[in-house]
Amino acid sequence: MNLPLLFRDELNGFYRSKVMLVLWIGLPALSMILYVAEPKTGIPAAVFTSLLVGSIGGTIASAMLAISIISERERHVYDLFVIRPVRRRDILLSKFFAVYLCVVMAGILALGLGLLADYEFTGLAKGISYQNLESAMILLLSSLAISCSAGILIGVYSPSVLVGVILVLYGGNQASAVAILPALIYESYYWFPLVPGVAVSALLLVGAILIFNARQL
Amino acid sequence: MQEVRSQSNHSLSARVAQPSNLLDGGFISFQSVTKRFWNIVALDSISFELRRGEIFAYIGPNGAGKSTTIKILVGLITDYEGLVTVGGRSIRGSSGDLHKLLGYLPQKAAFQDWRTVDQALMTFGKLSGLSSSNLRIRIPEVLRLLGIAETRDRKIAQLSGGTIQKVGMAQAILHNPPLLVLDEPVAGLDPASRYEFKELFRSLRNEGTTIFFSSHILSDVQDVADRIGILNHGQVLHVGTFDELRRKLTVPKDIEVLLAKESGQVLPEEVLALLTGIDVVGPGRLIVHVRPEEDLDATINALIDGFRRGGSQLRGIRPIEPNLEELYMRFVGGVG
Repeated sequence: MNLPLLFRDELNGFYRSKVMLVLWIGLPALSMILYVAEPKTGIPAAVFTSLLVGSIGGTIASAMLAISIISERERHVYDLFVIRPVRRRDILLSKFFAVYLCVVMAGILALGLGLLADYEFTGLAKGISYQNLESAMILLLSSLAISCSAGILIGVYSPSVLVGVILVLYGGNQASAVAILPALIYESYYWFPLVPGVAVSALLLVGAILIFNARQL
Repeated sequence: MQEVRSQSNHSLSARVAQPSNLLDGGFISFQSVTKRFWNIVALDSISFELRRGEIFAYIGPNGAGKSTTIKILVGLITDYEGLVTVGGRSIRGSSGDLHKLLGYLPQKAAFQDWRTVDQALMTFGKLSGLSSSNLRIRIPEVLRLLGIAETRDRKIAQLSGGTIQKVGMAQAILHNPPLLVLDEPVAGLDPASRYEFKELFRSLRNEGTTIFFSSHILSDVQDVADRIGILNHGQVLHVGTFDELRRKLTVPKDIEVLLAKESGQVLPEEVLALLTGIDVVGPGRLIVHVRPEEDLDATINALIDGFRRGGSQLRGIRPIEPNLEELYMRFVGGVG
């Protein structure tokens, strides 16, 4: 079982990357700037920032995963892993969990920043119930999970980086909406986005693993 | 890598524990292995064996199927017909213990750019079954052996192609595997590094490591290989030593004769009868073509005697041995 080792390794690579710097610092900051620039939405800053990070961050994470997997596949980086006692699925899962953890951290940072802004400046803090917060968090977790797993599938499937980027922009990004739709339809069941979030992510990951296992590297 | 000899005693503690039954008998065996890529036959029922502790060179033109054979052996290609065994056990669907037996260096070793050399070797070492404490000793040892100790903390992205190939070699020998599979290991290396790699091969072979490598640099193959496998159009044409290959082919028996310029070139009739012809290729330099049925050593003695009797002053005489490149070209019919 090499998943923990590979996960620590991938985390080590991803959290130091420039993209993560953008996700962790740039994106929460950008979402706050956008919120301040357009404050008439009536949405608490916490919810606004987490939605934005869930959307833009999901796209960035998806693109990062897809590009990383395609380029590593093209350069035969995985050859030296799979000739060892390593399950191919562990290579993909370690990437998924590493990037997912990083973008969720970015989302929590943005949410925290938004909460701080709500308490200090906007006066909307009173409007935020525990359930609102939980709902925003669930939405964030679900949409990011779908984006990341879509990135993995696109990375495994795409023949080139260009095709991968196009698929991420037109497919991966839209897939995360699957998590948002139930939240709009079943408002009273704030936990409901978890269902499509987990189901779609699992489905995409299983598809990616099957393709990766079948591929002659 | 000037320390190859002195550093070659790999710490035995670094060798991953291997089931003894995997090391017995004919080490590696390909039995009627066929690989098709759609309707193209890349390997056409190839069969050969590797002996334990030998350096086996695999040569052939581009597209002959060398890399396909290697990828099957290391488990990168699993969809093939036939049987490949290591220590008598099929590698198809093999468990982890078989994987730990081999070290593999691809044509172009590639690592994730964000890794340092140390991080890369630490990960691959752990995946091969070495402990962290063992790796802390083993990594500097292997990097010193390959002459790249100073790169340990550098990122892979900052290294030259040749150095990355050496890091690739480092990850291949890190766990001291009994089988090394190397796909064109010296391509892209400078002459000094090529020499050092060859020294390393010999050193590893002397420690009992079996080395299976492909190469286009036939002079290197002739230098280090114990046996050679020649592949062409997906078929194994020859497996054996260089001498066996030479015997297999009808090699012309030629002798080079160097004479003092001022001396004559007169040969008695009975000596001329042993020859098919003589070419004068330079002042005092002759190439003597011996009849195929005549014995080469006896003819050399007859020539020495004949030139003496004819009053010629001999400076030198030697049989012309074809090198591997000439034999190879003859064997594959000038392909590649």
